[in-house]
Amino acid sequence: MLRQLQARFGGPLAMAILGLLGIWLILLVTLPQLQMIDYSFRPNLLPDQRGGPEDGWTLGNYATLLNNEIHRVIFFKTLWSSVLVTLLTLAVSYPLAWYLAKVATPRQAALCILLLIIPFWINEILRTYAWFIILAFRGPLNEVLMMLGLIERPIRFLSGDAGVMVGMVYAYILFMVFPVYNAIESLDDNQVRAARDLGAGTIRTHRRIVIPHAKPGIATGCIMTFMLAAGSYAVPALLGSPGSRWFTQIIYNWFFEGGNWNQGAAYAFLLLVLCIGFMSLVMRFFKVGLGDIAK
Amino acid sequence: MSSQRLMALGLRFYVVVFFAYLFLPLLVMAAATFNDSRFPTVTPWDGTTLKWFGELAADGGMWQALGNSAIVAVGVLCLAVPIGIATALFLNTVSGRAKPFIYALILSPLLTPGVIIGISTLIFWRQLGVGGGIFLTVLGQSTFIAAYVMLMVTARLQRFDRTMERAALDLGASQWQMFRRILLPYLKPAIYSAAVIAFLQSFENYNTSLFVVGYDTTLTVYIASKVRTGLTPAVNALGLILILVTVVLAVAYEVKRRRETARSVKGV
Amino acid sequence: MDGSVRLDEVVMRFGDFTAIEKTTLEIGSGEFFSFLGPSGCGKTTLLNMISGFLTPTEGRVWIGDEAMGKVSVNRRPTAMIFQNLALFPLMTVFENIEFGLEVRGVDKRTRREASEKLLALVALEGSGPKQIGELSGGQKQRVAIARALAVEPRVLLLDEPLSALDLKLRQHMRAELKAIQRKTGITFIYITHDQGEALTMSDRVAVMSAGRIQQVADPMTLYRSPATGFVAAFVGENNRLETRVIEREGQRVRLDAGNLGELAGMAGETVILGNGDRAALFLRPEHLKPIGEGDAGPRLSATIEAVHFEGAWVMLETRLEASGEKLRVQLGHEVSRQYADSLDIGQRMTFGYDPADAVVLPDDGSPVLDEDTGEMVETEQRAMPDGGSHA
Repeated sequence: MLRQLQARFGGPLAMAILGLLGIWLILLVTLPQLQMIDYSFRPNLLPDQRGGPEDGWTLGNYATLLNNEIHRVIFFKTLWSSVLVTLLTLAVSYPLAWYLAKVATPRQAALCILLLIIPFWINEILRTYAWFIILAFRGPLNEVLMMLGLIERPIRFLSGDAGVMVGMVYAYILFMVFPVYNAIESLDDNQVRAARDLGAGTIRTHRRIVIPHAKPGIATGCIMTFMLAAGSYAVPALLGSPGSRWFTQIIYNWFFEGGNWNQGAAYAFLLLVLCIGFMSLVMRFFKVGLGDIAK
Repeated sequence: MSSQRLMALGLRFYVVVFFAYLFLPLLVMAAATFNDSRFPTVTPWDGTTLKWFGELAADGGMWQALGNSAIVAVGVLCLAVPIGIATALFLNTVSGRAKPFIYALILSPLLTPGVIIGISTLIFWRQLGVGGGIFLTVLGQSTFIAAYVMLMVTARLQRFDRTMERAALDLGASQWQMFRRILLPYLKPAIYSAAVIAFLQSFENYNTSLFVVGYDTTLTVYIASKVRTGLTPAVNALGLILILVTVVLAVAYEVKRRRETARSVKGV
Repeated sequence: MDGSVRLDEVVMRFGDFTAIEKTTLEIGSGEFFSFLGPSGCGKTTLLNMISGFLTPTEGRVWIGDEAMGKVSVNRRPTAMIFQNLALFPLMTVFENIEFGLEVRGVDKRTRREASEKLLALVALEGSGPKQIGELSGGQKQRVAIARALAVEPRVLLLDEPLSALDLKLRQHMRAELKAIQRKTGITFIYITHDQGEALTMSDRVAVMSAGRIQQVADPMTLYRSPATGFVAAFVGENNRLETRVIEREGQRVRLDAGNLGELAGMAGETVILGNGDRAALFLRPEHLKPIGEGDAGPRLSATIEAVHFEGAWVMLETRLEASGEKLRVQLGHEVSRQYADSLDIGQRMTFGYDPADAVVLPDDGSPVLDEDTGEMVETEQRAMPDGGSHA
């Protein structure tokens, strides 16, 4: 590989390229991850106990999750809720992506995309905070619902998982819209027309033509959304209550309240495994490779 | 036919609702800035005021955090952009059996939750005696932002006609001269775009920063802590300002990009 | 300034594939030399070896009296004009032309003087400040020439530079290239698959096929005395008939053409043909003439299947009655007027030719023209990647 780089860029530049790549992949990507994994298999020891008889590899930190029912419940709730958020986001995004790619005129589509990009660039915290205001006990949503006579007294939206999920769909929706839109856009219009010509209805056209074509985009959107949802800290912290904690919050607590980094590392690794597992499942289900995702 | 028309109408209605859903929360938040109420809300409306901007300006912690965010963002630019460019050049040049593996490694930060990048960075560097702070925040954020830069530079690099390189060499240029005078100018638009995106990504990052900022609180971390502790509409004022800045930047960036695409379509 | 090029037993292999078989060739200083061959014949590979983009697996490339073995692309006294021109789109015309001088550290004033002069040479005065995107196809072509000449190469390498132009412009640029070559006295090495380009411009042409040079000669010789069946079929048009040698007397060969009876043709002195050997007889369409009952010499009776009126001549597609083979016949304006009544589909005609115009070569299984597609078909099928893509 050095030879190929040298042939194209000459020695010094080839070395610089490899150097930067090496710093990144080794120092920033690989070693920290390996260190974290190593950490998760070691007991939490005081500095003077390190290297002592108790220092060694153990599964103790992972046993904690099995033994702690609350943590276990939260872990599976995080998994389940993230899947739900992903499906919900897909359901909400798909019609819009279809509209942008195939229904809207080019001018309409361009305007819509610009409108989509704006909130995309606004910080996750602020977007979540906006929902915090809306969903508040005395907030506008309750006011409106009461004014319409739909409810008699305000609902505590911010005490269950519903608020968290609404906030997450809102926060991550664009990570779904854009990949799906890009995928649908590359579909040849004539295929849709041909399907219609042959008498396929709207639903059948989508199921048989559009969705199979958009698979890589849907897979990318699902993987990104799931990863963001499962790894989200801001949304549950702002919109959740003590009764509806997220797995990331427990990890955070191990680090900055429990002071047990080894335990935190184990939980973090579990979260990573969860995301990788979901990703491989989606990739297998949709039969797409890494290369499709990077597009 | 009429059922299809009904579908089309429904779709249109859906799009309108979607955009309302997208923007209403932001409008509510913006409106709450001007409500003369102790809590950030629009109901009830206790009178219109600008006092929360004043309060925000007097918030020393906010300014401190803003400064930290700026420093971090510049640091990320200096680290992630060169790495991203180098990686794009690497992927564009080499082939070989190890390439798919390296490629997966390169993409992995994009598919790793931000909190985990923060955690692993924190653990690794503490072993080396470096604690949380601006330095670690730069490293942690660069870990995944470099991958975004790589994707953007690669997209342009793939359209580069390599005969251009051969022509430059054939005319006597050294490989360095070829890089400086031919390849880099060609990549410039993508590099600028990537720099803007890297800056914004860094500025608004929360998940990774949360673990590695130490005491050098960045703006997003500051806002989050404000929301949870001393919540006043001053946070809205800050949010409103950030939104306006982002909107201006995003629109300017998008307009510039469109203009460039239009020009390249014309064949220049 | 010695712009001669010598290929000294060069071989180019990519893995198992041999792109260039052992080749030795000398190109004189100031010569306009062309490599002519179908795509994949290795001509681009040869050009890349001369320019330095490829290093030959075996053998050496000399320019003047310098061996190029260790000399990298950017230090060779060559300049290349690329098929897609490869002009730098982000630079002006001036900057493009001056690029080679700029990287050599020539100061701006000298550079500008040189580029003004070159723009005058290619008749583009005043276009210097323009962007590349503002130029027409022909103008881009000229800028590419000027840019290559700016570095004062001893050898200019041209890789099918006219292929992107339309027909009119292409013919105009042929003349212009030839004129520039005369004016500058630089060695031009031109590669093309278009025989018209090669024949009109070149002092000498090397016809290539399957990694091997088939013949090196001036255009007239190539046309009149092709050395191999490939050259005979590739350069100009030729009808090919399979025969056996009856007897050879000096250059003149009597042939047994099976059902067609006895035919005759000429074989070069170096061509080895024994009695009874298989031989291919090449008859150019323009050498065939309608003959009457009483005329002497070889006779070929055929039925007309199509008549193409081309203005200055008429091309007939006929089928030989005795063998069922196709025979193309080109009749000049005068002759076609004389036979105007008989030039109809289904009409029978008898053609004759002067054996002095017919070439006889050993039937060695060299490529033949596919009658249906009009393309050359290798009899020994082999994969032929374009040599350039291996760089």
